[in-house]
Amino acid sequence: MPFTAHDLRYHAEQTYATLYAHLNWHAQRSLGEFKHDQVEVDLVVGHVVEQLLRLGLLGGGDRTSLTVLDGLSNAQFYAFLNRSIRNKAIDRLRRKRLLMTYAIDLEGMESTETEEDILNEATENLGGAPPFPTPEHAVLALASQQELRNLLKHCIKVLSAAPKQFQAIILEIEEFDATDLLKNIFEELPDKDLLASRGEPIANISQHKDHAHKKLRHCLQQQSTNLTVIVALRLTEYRVQSTRPDEFVVDMQTLAQQDLTESDVRTGLNQLVAEGLLDWHGDSVVHITSTQMKQLTRFYREE
Amino acid sequence: MNDNEQFDKSSNSQDEYEKLARWLLHVLTHSPQDTENVSTNEEDTGAYEVVTGDEYHPQFYRQLPDFIMALLRNDAKTTVHYAPLLYHLAGCTVCHSAYLELYDALRYAVKSGEKAQSINYGRRSLPDGASVKLCQLLINQAEAVLRQARREHIDGEAQARSLLQWAMRVSAHITQSGMRARALHDLVRVATITDNLHTTGQQELATHSYSPLIGASGTRHGKVLRKADTLMRSTGTPAEQAMIYLQSSHLEGGIIQREGTLELHLHDLDEKLRGRYLTISVPLGSLIEPVRWNGGNPRSILSVEPVDKDGTLITPLGQTDLRLSNPDERNLLEVMFLLLEVRPAS
Repeated sequence: MPFTAHDLRYHAEQTYATLYAHLNWHAQRSLGEFKHDQVEVDLVVGHVVEQLLRLGLLGGGDRTSLTVLDGLSNAQFYAFLNRSIRNKAIDRLRRKRLLMTYAIDLEGMESTETEEDILNEATENLGGAPPFPTPEHAVLALASQQELRNLLKHCIKVLSAAPKQFQAIILEIEEFDATDLLKNIFEELPDKDLLASRGEPIANISQHKDHAHKKLRHCLQQQSTNLTVIVALRLTEYRVQSTRPDEFVVDMQTLAQQDLTESDVRTGLNQLVAEGLLDWHGDSVVHITSTQMKQLTRFYREE
Repeated sequence: MNDNEQFDKSSNSQDEYEKLARWLLHVLTHSPQDTENVSTNEEDTGAYEVVTGDEYHPQFYRQLPDFIMALLRNDAKTTVHYAPLLYHLAGCTVCHSAYLELYDALRYAVKSGEKAQSINYGRRSLPDGASVKLCQLLINQAEAVLRQARREHIDGEAQARSLLQWAMRVSAHITQSGMRARALHDLVRVATITDNLHTTGQQELATHSYSPLIGASGTRHGKVLRKADTLMRSTGTPAEQAMIYLQSSHLEGGIIQREGTLELHLHDLDEKLRGRYLTISVPLGSLIEPVRWNGGNPRSILSVEPVDKDGTLITPLGQTDLRLSNPDERNLLEVMFLLLEVRPAS
């Protein structure tokens, strides 16, 4: 084999010329009548090279994490590269066709349908649309799945440390009429005083909203936030009544089952401690008072 | 609960989810201006994001293959495990379109990959155009890595450094000087991003910043070359090739080689610098290490003599095994001197 994913990761400089030759050849094949247009060929090849760099594969060495791409068979890896090249070439052909159609429309000529066959052949789909094909589909999934909504509730709750920003966001959710979420937040919010000034005008509201949006985006996209919410939910699911009254226990191994490492669990537990929801000092068994369990259940578990 | 009630409840829920989804989309999608033009107030605890229009996000982009493979395997925990990524994809068009592209390519690879083969293309060399594009991609990537490191408070320097080193080495093989200049257009800016972030304001600004006239040869740079010829004759340099020409606004200079030593020649320096020792900084000198710099630090090389009464300074910079007379090695050295700054020694 001329090169492998491993070569691209660990011997990129020595392998790059061969990778380029491979991509160049496939780009020419996929570009149909534009195969001699070196600008188009370079655009297509450059796109895939950029993708490999961004993925941390090309020249990544041990400085970037391995991904499933490193584990593909050679044939699968070539198929991945070839498909990527082909998709970009189709994208270029479509743009060209749009431009040509526009030019033809302007000139009142009939279409020559030069690339129709390539495009028709190229659009074969191997099993329907992907999940989350648009941002709208993604947000609907985020809104309708309980665990993902928990993350949102958690971040809104964290926002309550800045009352004006919190109130600005509550006002905005009201404007969007997302009443169920509001109801949940109001029921579960520990500090009810925050709601006392609801309805009162907020000075510089757009600025507060803007800051709140930034904080929400940051919070929602943090893996540590996700771990906190997952661990909180698992505490409520796997709790066992302790020998002491009004106390529950969960051991670390139970929390770490399936997809979490012990380090992930520790991150989540530490965050819950920082938020005042738990007393935990690094022991292998987590002790939770019934009051704490009530809080966790109320906030992270929807029945 | 009868069927109608169940339907009502589920359709109410769907309606609620759609409202919530609309609000989420509003929060998650934002223009760069939204994030850049926000002033601080008493409740703001710090800057969370500094994004530019077409920026991609390495920390999320690199999760895409694993996320997609988990989706392809119908792993029930995928969305929960990758919830932060999903929240990100909903708001980032660059990463979302990469997700769609990668999803299709990976699905194809998994379903029909065993049929694909690679042809043996033999030993190839890169055309100059491809080398230019590669350099630009590597430099852009290094910039993205450094900016992410800044945002996330992580160390991205080793990776960025490796990418920039690769770009420098690739550029050394580009034969056409104009294309080489294009390939390296952003190198200095990106390589000094970290410097700019760490500058406290106490560091004295450079008095003069020199850069090489890449590929200066023939008659196009007549005045410079005439000066350089004079310089070479005065120093006994045998070949025109064996010199890197430097320019800073109206000032000129060059770097020649005496055996293993690189020697800096500067001319017509200002009155205020005459009689003073200078500190010379070669910011890219620490990126690749074929030169043993005088004093050990390429950002602070002390001249061995003061500037003379005519405004001339001749001082060694360091030792190297590279030869200015070898075109590829000369190109590599020239890249290293893309920026050379001088200031009075304190």
